[in-house]
Amino acid sequence: MPTVILMDVSLSMTRPVSLDGIEEFQRKNLAVHGLNMLFEHMASNYRLEFTALMAFSSLWELLVPFTRDYNALQEALSSLEDYDKTCVESALNGVNNLVQQEWGSACPCQLVLVTDGSLGIGKGSLRHSLQTLKHRGDDKKFPLPFPFPTKLFIMCVANAEELQMTDAMDNLEELLRLSGGDGQIFTMDGPLCMKSVQGMFGRLIDYAYSPFHAVLHCGNLSSDVQVFPRPEPVVMDEEVEPMPRTVSADLEIVGFIEIADISSPPVISRHLVLPIAPNKDVDEVGTGATDELEEEPSASQMAGKSPNFCVLLHGSLKVEGMVALVQLGPEWYGMLYSQADSKKKSNLMMSLFEPGPEPLPWLGKISYLGPISEAAENPYGEDDSKSPFPLQPQVKRSYAQNVTVWIKASGLQTDVQKILRNARKLPDKTQTFYKELNRLRKAALAFGFWELLKGVADLLERECTMLPDSAHPDAAFQLSHAAQQLKLASTGDSQYAAFDHNIVPMHTDFSS
Amino acid sequence: MKMFSVAHKTVFVVDHCPYMAESSRQQVECDVLTKSRAQGVIPLAPVSKSLWTCAVECSMEYCRILYDIYPKDKLVNYIVSDSEFHILNSWRREDQSTHELMSALAAVGPPNPREDPECCSILHGLVAAVESLCKITELQHERRTALMDTAERVANRGRIICLTNAKSDTHVRMLEDCIQETILDQNKLAAGSDRLMAIQQCELVLVHIYPQGEDTLVSDRPKKEISPLLTSEVHSVRAGRHLATKLNILVQQHFDLTSTTITNIPMKEEQHANTSANYDVELLHHRDAHLEFFKSGDLHMAGTSTRENGLKETVTLKWCTPRTNTIELYYCTGAYRISPTDVNSRPSSCLTNFLLNGELLLNHYLSSTLPSIEAVLFLRCLMTFTKVILTQKTKIHLNAVVPLANLIVKETLTEEDVLTCQKTVYNLVDMERKNDPLPISTVGSRGKGPKRDEQYRIMWNELETLVKTHAGATDRHQRVLDCIIACRSKPPEEEERKKRGRKREEREDRTEKNGNKETDDKSWQESERLKGLLDKEDQESEVIKDSPDSPEPLNKKPRLTTEEVQPPERAKGPVSLLTMWTNRITAANSRKHQEFVGRASSVNNKFELYQHLKDENGMDVHENGKASR
Repeated sequence: MPTVILMDVSLSMTRPVSLDGIEEFQRKNLAVHGLNMLFEHMASNYRLEFTALMAFSSLWELLVPFTRDYNALQEALSSLEDYDKTCVESALNGVNNLVQQEWGSACPCQLVLVTDGSLGIGKGSLRHSLQTLKHRGDDKKFPLPFPFPTKLFIMCVANAEELQMTDAMDNLEELLRLSGGDGQIFTMDGPLCMKSVQGMFGRLIDYAYSPFHAVLHCGNLSSDVQVFPRPEPVVMDEEVEPMPRTVSADLEIVGFIEIADISSPPVISRHLVLPIAPNKDVDEVGTGATDELEEEPSASQMAGKSPNFCVLLHGSLKVEGMVALVQLGPEWYGMLYSQADSKKKSNLMMSLFEPGPEPLPWLGKISYLGPISEAAENPYGEDDSKSPFPLQPQVKRSYAQNVTVWIKASGLQTDVQKILRNARKLPDKTQTFYKELNRLRKAALAFGFWELLKGVADLLERECTMLPDSAHPDAAFQLSHAAQQLKLASTGDSQYAAFDHNIVPMHTDFSS
Repeated sequence: MKMFSVAHKTVFVVDHCPYMAESSRQQVECDVLTKSRAQGVIPLAPVSKSLWTCAVECSMEYCRILYDIYPKDKLVNYIVSDSEFHILNSWRREDQSTHELMSALAAVGPPNPREDPECCSILHGLVAAVESLCKITELQHERRTALMDTAERVANRGRIICLTNAKSDTHVRMLEDCIQETILDQNKLAAGSDRLMAIQQCELVLVHIYPQGEDTLVSDRPKKEISPLLTSEVHSVRAGRHLATKLNILVQQHFDLTSTTITNIPMKEEQHANTSANYDVELLHHRDAHLEFFKSGDLHMAGTSTRENGLKETVTLKWCTPRTNTIELYYCTGAYRISPTDVNSRPSSCLTNFLLNGELLLNHYLSSTLPSIEAVLFLRCLMTFTKVILTQKTKIHLNAVVPLANLIVKETLTEEDVLTCQKTVYNLVDMERKNDPLPISTVGSRGKGPKRDEQYRIMWNELETLVKTHAGATDRHQRVLDCIIACRSKPPEEEERKKRGRKREEREDRTEKNGNKETDDKSWQESERLKGLLDKEDQESEVIKDSPDSPEPLNKKPRLTTEEVQPPERAKGPVSLLTMWTNRITAANSRKHQEFVGRASSVNNKFELYQHLKDENGMDVHENGKASR
């Protein structure tokens, strides 16, 4: 999930922070300190995240496009200049363009807005933007909500009390609501100082940038892994199940299945599965991760030498053309598979299905799946030529049955003509004739369309009189028999008009 | 949609009073006489449906679509009302099918016009509907049991769709009041019962049906709140196709459906076996399937069109014969169930049969302008047919294959038949060896047809598929299949590889053939490349060339951007997502402004300047020139 850092560089950010100490800081310095801390954390624990840095005042400027080079980001922070006033709306437009250009509208994105809570004055201020929200034309819509899924984190280099004295807090809350409500507003606790800004960014890191570590199990084998980007909690039905479902830290492989059988299933998110050195501290999250930087290479070198289950799994899936079904929690599944990103490189990836016992209807309930050896007979056949999937539904869909719909006149005409066509080819077409006749009869009875039954009976009688001399004598018998049966059905007499009753061909000496 | 939204329970209450036996006055000519037989025959008088028939068939259509798209947990309870109420089915899952309902409706029959109208009322049915909404469904029961202490989270909401012929607006108000009172009464009862649940929300949709050519006595009214428990809306509709359209719109609104039209589906004509025409098929599905288009702003490019009734829109996507590889995983963001709007039309049934017959039911329909494979709409259907149906895919019109094709569908084969089949196969092998052209019709497909070896490959594939379907029938059938497999020069996998290899060569992408592992990597590359290909229409022809079943689309949209200007980097290799995106934006922007007259009317990208001088006073120039000489 890429991140955009939106840094306020208006003049108000240069306000000095009154401190007892010797050195004098600006709010900007505090913000930069906090961001540096965030970048350092990402560089060591979240290094696959793409991050962009954008500065804004009344105008906005992209300082660093999406990158994984956290040095470049830190460098850009150190050379920030000061500009005029805060104008959040235009900056959000900038973010919108930037993200859509790089990632499109399907990729979820995190936005970290760093500001001091003085949100501009007059036209272009957030207050003004929000007040005029409802009086805008289509071409000047407020950029929120973004078309892509957004998490908005607002980092205020200010106390909550300070923000509540004006309408700043209300405006920021409104902003968060407009963005879709996913995210949080962070303020500083206590006096504005380095320590409290560290605290604030520490809370952001815990909230949004803690790496997701899990143990991947497969029978007796297991491996410590990082899942990146970390899987987010999912709410399926806020009414029945308001608590979000989270992916368990124990990922249990429940089985393996052919790619052709699982056939490109719909997924809610995709993640890289990266093995991590087993001796590394799994719980390290949040602040103070920087001092481990030096030990990093040796740990990964060690990891490279020791046998790892992930490597075995990845290789096997790739060679066999299979995926592993993995249980993520109670009634929640996903799949592990090998994904090639270039000719030579491929990765072990995990995709999450929608929570539920039966995420892919063509496989049925996942809990009903089992090893081939347990089946009475190999469902794939001895020579691997068949497959038990897709499962047959119990009730066929309308398009798989021969349903009768007469809403359009053409539907009715076609069905009548079909009967007449077969009537002219009696007795060769006796079976088809009665099949079509019974189909029409059933529908007419269900729709209460007795007039049609009489009409078709008349048509059949007319056909009977028009039979050529060369016609088989059986044809005349069958036609008048069918006509008579239709007429009886059209009286509604329960003996003849039963839905499940079928008109059967008349038994004649010719037909035997 | 929440699990227990109003859509969980739908009660149909259909009026079965004597006046519903009246004719809708929409006549259907069912005796279509062919010209050759027309002399001296008096055609049958047209038939007309009664109001009841109209109501029943439209409600059945509503249920058909609903059951197709939500095969479980969106339930219908069907009630018929005359001098009393008749409940035709229950909320139980096994009662939820159109077949069950049709059977029960047949038992009810049309209204009896001689019944005393004073005794009959829709009210009986409406009261029964409210009572029915209080009854707990299996899903509600399961969920309540599962949630235990938070069982109150399971809501009880529902919708009543009442198809009737009301007398006046006052009559409608009376019905609403009555429902409101019944809800209050029933809720009191439900409070003391385990098997009943109080109604939290009820939506009444009253559809007043009147015959064609009459004035309505009831006015339309949008949804309004009668009480916190009850909302009501009134639709006044003429019987016949208006009613059908109305219920089609309602089912879409009620179940969050929307429509997609697949255009340009090539299909062989029954009468003219040599030609292939293009058809459109409209499908309904959950509206989330369009979410990605809306978000990416692609909808205007994918092509929306307002339909004749002006009320609903459909997204048009162009058919692309599936060419996905079954052993690859594609990124898929959603799979949605579908239901054709016109289920028994020939194009619809051809399409659904084609999908149902496919071994892998992964069929994507792409519009030509979709920017990436992620936006591809995957529509899955989950059935296989037991009998092969000659769809356009198997209808290769080869005289050479005809004897075999005719024989193989027979239930039993004689020894002689097997011989004939084998002869046919050997004949084909011979033809391939001599590199004879296959008599495949190319009418209807513009441009070059598939290459000859490609034609043979397709032919063998089709033949094998056809015979395979029947191979299980008898040993003799199996022998025919064995013969074909033995005669095929290469196994299908190798063919596939060969095909891919050739394509790569065409694109000057040289890679050495290094066994299976490498092929997998390559095929992924291939799909990466596909993403790029989808971007540009001019490259679509390349995609299509691969799938000979599908002729090139006939009506390409006019493009203002000049096709000749191709980004040079395309020749070098895959384009980046960013480039694709930027190109797309540029293309979109270029459409927004009016194209320069010069560029629009240019020939080979060149435009002669100062043409007007020639047109307006060209003669003058000439003459002046002469004069000055």
